Amino acid sequence: MRATVKGRVAIFHPQGFLDGNNAPSFLTLDDIKATEALNVDMLLVSLKKVIFFNKNGLDVFIKLLLSIRNQKHITVGLCDYDHTKFKTINAFYGSNLNFSLFRSEKIAELFAPTNKSDSKTILLYDDDPSQRSAMAIELFDYGHNPVIAQSKKEFNEKKQNPDLYYAVIDDTYLGLFGQKIATRVTGNAIIYTISNFLDAEITNTFNIDYHNNSLNVGFRLFIFDAYKVVSMNVHALNFFTRLASSAAEYNATICFVGLTFEKTPQSFKNDLEDAGMLFFDNMDDILKNKELLQELGGSSAAVTKQVRTLNKTLVNELPHFVEATVSTIAMMTNAKASKESMNVQTLEIQNTTNQYASSIGFYGDVDGMIILVFPKEIAKKACELLIGESTEEEEIILDSLAEFVNIIGGRAKALLGEKKHRVNITLPRTYHDVASLMEMAQNKKGVQVNLSFEGSNFIFFLTR
Amino acid sequence: MVTQEQISHYIQNIPPVPDVVKQTLGFVQSGDLIKAAKCAEQDPALKLYLKTLINRPIYGFRNEVSDVSQIFGILGTSTAQQILYHYLLTLLVPQEWKLFALNHHAFYDLQASLSRKWEKILRHLNLLSRDTESAITLLPASIIVCDALFGEHKSEVEQLRSVKALDYNTILYRLSKQTLFDICTVIAHKWEMSPSISRIVHAASGLDQNLESKEQLLAQWIHLLLFYELSQSPYVSAGLNEFIDFQIEFVQDIYESFMQVVEYDESNR
Repeated sequence: MRATVKGRVAIFHPQGFLDGNNAPSFLTLDDIKATEALNVDMLLVSLKKVIFFNKNGLDVFIKLLLSIRNQKHITVGLCDYDHTKFKTINAFYGSNLNFSLFRSEKIAELFAPTNKSDSKTILLYDDDPSQRSAMAIELFDYGHNPVIAQSKKEFNEKKQNPDLYYAVIDDTYLGLFGQKIATRVTGNAIIYTISNFLDAEITNTFNIDYHNNSLNVGFRLFIFDAYKVVSMNVHALNFFTRLASSAAEYNATICFVGLTFEKTPQSFKNDLEDAGMLFFDNMDDILKNKELLQELGGSSAAVTKQVRTLNKTLVNELPHFVEATVSTIAMMTNAKASKESMNVQTLEIQNTTNQYASSIGFYGDVDGMIILVFPKEIAKKACELLIGESTEEEEIILDSLAEFVNIIGGRAKALLGEKKHRVNITLPRTYHDVASLMEMAQNKKGVQVNLSFEGSNFIFFLTR
Repeated sequence: MVTQEQISHYIQNIPPVPDVVKQTLGFVQSGDLIKAAKCAEQDPALKLYLKTLINRPIYGFRNEVSDVSQIFGILGTSTAQQILYHYLLTLLVPQEWKLFALNHHAFYDLQASLSRKWEKILRHLNLLSRDTESAITLLPASIIVCDALFGEHKSEVEQLRSVKALDYNTILYRLSKQTLFDICTVIAHKWEMSPSISRIVHAASGLDQNLESKEQLLAQWIHLLLFYELSQSPYVSAGLNEFIDFQIEFVQDIYESFMQVVEYDESNR
């Protein structure tokens, strides 16, 4: 059985009965290797479709989860269960519960980094005050707005108005959490929350893949929320200077907010400033200053001083990327997309209304980005297999579009792999209109391929 | 991915019931097992199938049973009909499984295990009849159809499943507005099986609405039985656990009784 990956969360979905006799059969050696190779921040087992489980059955999965957590410092646990199952799991593991429990997949996703910048209001309660606080801090660090009920009574009262909250969290448990630095997105800026004493451990807790992903998909402003940092040592300093050097290649800016130098040597600040880091006292000094935000690259990626150009390697691989796109559309719709025209140019979209767009970056032996721009109806048609029944809900369509682009990225990766080019793909990003895409993509030169599908045109754009 | 043409082509190529089997079934259904045995003698493949089956350890005979009339006598009319339908299904079983890691042996074991437990269930529900008993024989046809339709698209399904946990039945429905169980109904019709058999098997998906109370009950039990079997180690390894979507709420209220009927021993697991 392979885990399904959505964003930075991978989930196994066993069905039926799970016991010590059958559980090992769910995970072959290949499955274990494939799981270890996943580039995710959270690995879970869904119990939604499991009608019976016992400790022996769970232990098979838990053993794999814990081994991967030890290697990769990611969050692992179980999700999608009801109150009875939650109580059973607690009874099985008691005080040895050292993995996380999320009542639903939706709740789990709140504790993982995404490319989305929307802050959600969440009601939460746990009998244990330390769990309540831990969850609230994590949610806040991931950019959400937690509302903490201090008592069961208050929780039950507040729960009466579910429309006020994106999610209501109970029967959830954070086990050995905070292994990774929390990440959130605000507009076109990415905010990392760091705390306590920073040392060499930051190389394990900072999600460098996510950071590289973000650079590749066009983010240009990175902010370290350092209000809770007490001090740092030379290993952490070296880490940040290396990060600044790699950001410079993309003309990206890295800032520290709220970092004090009472216990951190002043010379460190000078070194970091020399490496190109900026320092601010308050978050609002950046986020509420539109001019500054634009200058730093947090309002759009279009302000980058140096546009990365197409190179021969990338153009040579163009047929693979187009093939991955066309074959994915054929797979998902049983209809063929045909190539109409192809030009080297900046992205040009004739009709800017009623269009969805999505992008996915790749990096490694070859680096660049695929952008797809669809008329909304075509996007819905292309994603029908993933969505199921027809829907007009934009969020569902855009989520499916992200999954669709992820399949294209996976196919492109496989096709490049056949030519011994090793690449990783980034998180897909979706845009609900052309304007927000153009903020990121204008001025970028690339290959634009106009494709025709069921009588409508859509755009494939390959750039760096 | 799977196209409408591919489905139509598959349906067109479902073999008709061989004349000998049709006549044998007719005699079995009219209760004339002597004539049924004489008729079955004419088909060497059917004779061999019956001999091999009755001499498997599950039937517990010390000496080899080789006489066809003796075999029918042992089976009785209900089981004889069920076995003849099993035989029909062998006409659909692929030489080589492409999607699921199955072989003839594992598939026949699955058939036998489903049949054995289904009979227990029907006795428990007091709903044992020739048609209800035979319904279980058609159920594995859905697995054969799934392998035939998706066998050539294994890597595409893997890519799709890498981003979304979709089962084969849902994928097929979204592509063609037909389910694996719709195709089983077509098979049942082509093989002139009783409509009540195809209705029970269709409802085994756990998705049918507006069922009569008896059919609803049978659908719940057959759905849970299917997942009980597909959770067994050899079938998990074969990839069958991802075959259709398990409707856990649909079977929740019969779960406790089911565990007693199949004598599930938690302490040994």
